[in-house]
Amino acid sequence: MNSKSMLIEKIVKRTLWFLLSMLLLSIVVFYFARLAPGDPLESYYGDAVESMTSPELDAARERLGLDGPIALQYVKWISNAVQGDFGMSLKYKMPALAVIAPLIGNTLVLGGTAYILVFVLATILALFCAMHEDTWIDRIICKVGTAAYYIPSFWLGVVLVLIFSINLGWLPSSGAYDIGKSDDLFNRIQHMILPLTVMILSHLWYYAYMIRNKLLDEIRKEYVLLAKSKGCTKSEVVLKHCFRNVAPTIVNIMAISIPHVLSGTFIAEAVFNYPGIGALSVTSAKYHDYNLLMLIVLITGVMVVSSSIIAQFINEAIDPRMKLTEVTAWKETPQTPLS
Amino acid sequence: MEEPILQLQNLSVSFDTKNGEVEAVRDVSLSLKKGEILAIVGESGCGKTVMSQAVLKLLPKTSRIKQGRIIVDGEDITDYKEKEMRKLRGGVMSMVFQDPMTTLNPTIPIGKQITEAIVKHNKVSKEEAKKRGIEMLNLVGINREEEMFSLQPHFFSGGMRQRCVLAIALVSNPQILFADEATTALDVTVQAKILDLLLDIRNKTGISIVFISHDLGVVARIADRVAVMYAGKIVEIGTAEDILYNPRHPYVWGLMSALPALTKAGESLATIPGTPPIMLNPPPGDAFAIRNRYALAIDYEEMPPMYEVSPTHYVATWLMDEKAPKIKPPISLKRMEKE
Repeated sequence: MNSKSMLIEKIVKRTLWFLLSMLLLSIVVFYFARLAPGDPLESYYGDAVESMTSPELDAARERLGLDGPIALQYVKWISNAVQGDFGMSLKYKMPALAVIAPLIGNTLVLGGTAYILVFVLATILALFCAMHEDTWIDRIICKVGTAAYYIPSFWLGVVLVLIFSINLGWLPSSGAYDIGKSDDLFNRIQHMILPLTVMILSHLWYYAYMIRNKLLDEIRKEYVLLAKSKGCTKSEVVLKHCFRNVAPTIVNIMAISIPHVLSGTFIAEAVFNYPGIGALSVTSAKYHDYNLLMLIVLITGVMVVSSSIIAQFINEAIDPRMKLTEVTAWKETPQTPLS
Repeated sequence: MEEPILQLQNLSVSFDTKNGEVEAVRDVSLSLKKGEILAIVGESGCGKTVMSQAVLKLLPKTSRIKQGRIIVDGEDITDYKEKEMRKLRGGVMSMVFQDPMTTLNPTIPIGKQITEAIVKHNKVSKEEAKKRGIEMLNLVGINREEEMFSLQPHFFSGGMRQRCVLAIALVSNPQILFADEATTALDVTVQAKILDLLLDIRNKTGISIVFISHDLGVVARIADRVAVMYAGKIVEIGTAEDILYNPRHPYVWGLMSALPALTKAGESLATIPGTPPIMLNPPPGDAFAIRNRYALAIDYEEMPPMYEVSPTHYVATWLMDEKAPKIKPPISLKRMEKE
């Protein structure tokens, strides 16, 4: 078998897994959302629901696709969804896609920047700590980092707003941009500084500590002794030998941390009133806005699942032992007996 | 007389632990001549590895050299700091470890691991380094060396990996090689090949080897001189013939009678009762006394001095004292002489 057909096979397999997991996710969320107490009609009609008669209510349910057993509703929803129709948002009374479209960019920019900064800083911090293991500086960083991690991010957000927006007046306290300045990059960055600070401070040490401990595990391995005994310096050993072996783990941590960082975005969005899908998902759950909720869940799901698939590909590139193809290719060439 | 390449004078190494001081190496004196293979023999935990890693200063920070001097090629390196040690590691002394499966970095190609140190420290160009690396692979008996040069360790068998480790250790022409249980993890046929290779390399390059092992059979095959360690001390040291054919210390008798080759069919294998002491609070007298069938009262109170058996053969046991009862070694050892 050549490597090209194996690659195709792999891609097909992964795509099938991807679709299957999205299907399962949608079923579970669809079902559970509908089990929550409350009436979605309330969010659509507001207080008017109370003055509606039963036939009117039934008619409304039928129109909005909220009648019949849940399984049937699901079939109706999914058959529309595969055609790109994700239904109406019950609260905003417009297509769910149209509600999300202007906000998703904001969330991606905020979340993406935070994500990259968190991991770049976490890796640098972890390498620094690992190189200075058990010295006073490592200990101080560990203690401060742990303390910083346990500061609740909503509280930290409020305190930062108090200091930098209200007392000092340096930075804006909410929103993604000032009115009429949506194209002003500098203005947008200004608005992102505080949410980013909150997100970085509340995630950084969690990952830095994980990577630091992984690195320390590596430093205890025997190949480090060999590398040292051939004359490598400690920083050479950590940067060239250990880091390379920890890199796949970092990629894995990065992949599985997407939901974590994303949920951090949601909190930051809520605290700083930043217009993004995080804040939106909270409202949609609160108001039984099923269609909007499903769409947000699906988008989040796509991000999570595809990130783990990407992580696998990157892993194979870093560490060839994870690749199946190479080993079979090697077996095909005639071998002299190896001692 | 020729200056020894390595000299240990009354070396003691201790670890500071929560429960107190662990005296891993106690008052060890020995010297290694140029081109000599000195085997260090003893049970697990008797300080063989600590002694050799103390010379290379590879021990963790919790350890310290309590007393004594380490003299390499006429130079006292006892107080050398990390920076000075780095120049010695690889260039003057290097080390091979027990498990070739863990001493190589799994993600870096063999060739790069061999040449890494010389590119960095000897300022050799990449092409020259590669040439040298391939030469080394050839020297340690790896076929198709050019092809193997760019492969990761997982393509190699255990024996080949140990050859690669040897190539790494030998690439900058060190004068002393510490082989710490270098053949223990290998199966017997591969073991024999690696031993022959070590002998061959010694004959070609005139390197001195400190060969650490707990296997007397292996030691008999390779060693010029043998030092037997127990509880951090050298209890008997002499030429391989002295130790194998004329052992004087009851501990060495015990080790020898435990050899399967010296046991008759149908006889059960002799063992030494008990285990080596924990070196947290070493006993005041001869540490072996409690396991020693021939122990004298003084063994429990005072450490025996080194008695001279012959100019090459020294032993630390009170049995050698002129006032001690004359005890014949166990009968099974006689079989050794017949063979």
